[in-house]
Amino acid sequence: MRKAFVISSALLLVSFVLQFLFAAVGGFTRPWGDDAYALHSINGMAVIPALSLLTALCAALARAPGRLIGLALLPIGLVVVQALLAMLANAATDAAGVSTPLGPIIGGLHALNGIIAVHVVVAVLRGARKLSDPEPADSTGDVVRSGEPA
Amino acid sequence: MTTGSLLAVDLVLAVLVAAGWLGGGAAAAVRRRPLALALAAVALLATLARAITITALARAGWWFVAEKVLVAAPLSLAAVAAAGPRWRSVAGDIRSVAVPLLFAGYATSGALFVTVLHGYPASVGAGLLTVAGVVTATAVSWRALGVRPPRVLSRVALVVAVGAVVTGTGLTVVPNATPVVPHDHAYRDERTTDEPTRRFTLTAGTATVSVSGRDVAAWAFNAQVPGPELTATVGDVVEVTLRNRDIGRGVTLHWHGYDVPNSQDGVPGVTQAAVRPGQEFVYRFRADQAGTYWYHTHAVSDVGVRMGLYGVLVVHPGPMVGLDATIPVHTLAGRPLPDARVEPVAAGTPVRLRLINTDSTTHRYALAGTAFRVAAIDGSDLRGPTSLVDTAVLIPAGGRYDLVFDAPETPAALFVDGRAVYSTGPVSAATGDWPVLDPLGYGAAAAVPWSRFDRTFTLVLDRGLDLHDLLPRYAHTVNGAADPDIPPQVVRLGDVVRFTIVNRSAIVHPWHLHGHHVLVLSRDRRPAAGSPLWLDSFDVRPGEVWEVAFRADNPGVWANHCHNLAHADAGMTMHLMYS
Repeated sequence: MRKAFVISSALLLVSFVLQFLFAAVGGFTRPWGDDAYALHSINGMAVIPALSLLTALCAALARAPGRLIGLALLPIGLVVVQALLAMLANAATDAAGVSTPLGPIIGGLHALNGIIAVHVVVAVLRGARKLSDPEPADSTGDVVRSGEPA
Repeated sequence: MTTGSLLAVDLVLAVLVAAGWLGGGAAAAVRRRPLALALAAVALLATLARAITITALARAGWWFVAEKVLVAAPLSLAAVAAAGPRWRSVAGDIRSVAVPLLFAGYATSGALFVTVLHGYPASVGAGLLTVAGVVTATAVSWRALGVRPPRVLSRVALVVAVGAVVTGTGLTVVPNATPVVPHDHAYRDERTTDEPTRRFTLTAGTATVSVSGRDVAAWAFNAQVPGPELTATVGDVVEVTLRNRDIGRGVTLHWHGYDVPNSQDGVPGVTQAAVRPGQEFVYRFRADQAGTYWYHTHAVSDVGVRMGLYGVLVVHPGPMVGLDATIPVHTLAGRPLPDARVEPVAAGTPVRLRLINTDSTTHRYALAGTAFRVAAIDGSDLRGPTSLVDTAVLIPAGGRYDLVFDAPETPAALFVDGRAVYSTGPVSAATGDWPVLDPLGYGAAAAVPWSRFDRTFTLVLDRGLDLHDLLPRYAHTVNGAADPDIPPQVVRLGDVVRFTIVNRSAIVHPWHLHGHHVLVLSRDRRPAAGSPLWLDSFDVRPGEVWEVAFRADNPGVWANHCHNLAHADAGMTMHLMYS
């Protein structure tokens, strides 16, 4: 199960990397249309939430320390916030569909939240790998202790 | 603050509440005392702020707050009740309040999911499923944190969770008996039998067309985008033969805004079968309404119209005087149509610009260099239009405005979203900060012709999860349902019908009823104060409530849908039918 935790968090990280890539695809598509961000929204609304859930589930089943489970749960919340931010940024337009100043600000938060989320996933992957093959020098006791506050 | 902004602020607060409780719980679990206390305080403050936003929204209408009052409020109170009293004993181990804080987080997140994924109307099923989810998540946290809950409490939790899941699932899954729209019935042919005086043939096919100097793949009538402009004079009998050369998904012709007999309305599966490649269909109707209209395919309408299957229909009241120009605005493959046109005109010539929006979103039109009047909207003449200058108009998806003016000595130009589209000479003008005309206060008022309404329907527009052919989708919904599960509105011939249309969502919905023009009664409870507005396409913006009415005088089964055609595809389509 610990292997599965590593694999699923690695896949989650890959999907996050792709997500940044797809955002760039959307940003640089010309002429710009509603379809420009299609890959970004499919990956973000379907693949990433599914992998986030899977990773959190794997963390729990792998009997990871509480802190790591909490960390693995965090991307789910951040992804929900991410979707809401995108929706609000798109909605922050005047009647003719032109952005109000609020739109780009919320859009910026969307990017910031994405950066935070990817760092959390990197931390989850690190934790999962440590859990999967603890270095010989460290006894398994270290893993147990890592569940306690530093 | 508008109701639309209030909805957005309330959503942000709801996220803060949930994130505050959940973060506080997680911080408490790892014994970060100051962080846990700070996050819980944020959650508490945001909860108080929500009390204000929800009260303000309730004043705008129950539709905006139903699930917030019935689901979110009890769950938030439970959250505060569970997390609040623990502060007295918090001097000890902060970890002991982790579970109550997490419970508060689950409860408020659950309520947030109900708002975002379920919306209006609040349902017992969704509420119970949320309770089950909250109880289960709390029980899992108990175990994960190694806290032993009191035996009685865990038993109660088990019973509540199982009971809520079973009842909730039962209530959600059992299908409501939706009266079925008689699709694919024997279409009654009410074509006029009079001899046609205007004959046209439109052949739909794939084509390559040039837009701003670049070749793009399109679907086109007679190999041109827009299709041929069809013109007639009041009294003509128009006959249009539609042929499909190679549009595999089928085509039809819908006369947008033209109140033809039901059999000529061109809605596949409702008024006729889609015309497949190699087939043809003949439309025939009497041109008895003057004005600016357009036609487009209603088969796979989202893709079809976007790819170019549309054109202009103009019916003149009599012999033409002056200059009459149609400007159908469209976006083809991301590029704006039509190409800019310059047409010098002698000073004093009466000019009528027929502005048409064939896209799925609103466009902003600004006429610079001259005073003008809005003579007609959606084909219907306005009463007592006054002269306007340096004022922009917003035309909803599918809508039409006729602007009239006498050509001045100096050039005039029409800008669409800042791009010069039509001009009588070189004009440079910054139109971006012009005020926008509100048609509800323009022109001379007249009394509403009806004093009572025989039928009243309320349509609440929102988003929600929906099963479509067993696949889940985030649909655009009406009263919590998406096509084909929305019950039709049933009226009798001669009824005066009133629609109340409420937009709870974060996006504009251009509403379009087939076969009838509706009279605008009020917007956000303020009665329309200008010329009577008989519309077929009107933007219901986020947080707005429109009241419109019409006399049911055109029997049949009529599509009634959002004209952002992607929304219509994603569920926002229903039918008006005569009993």
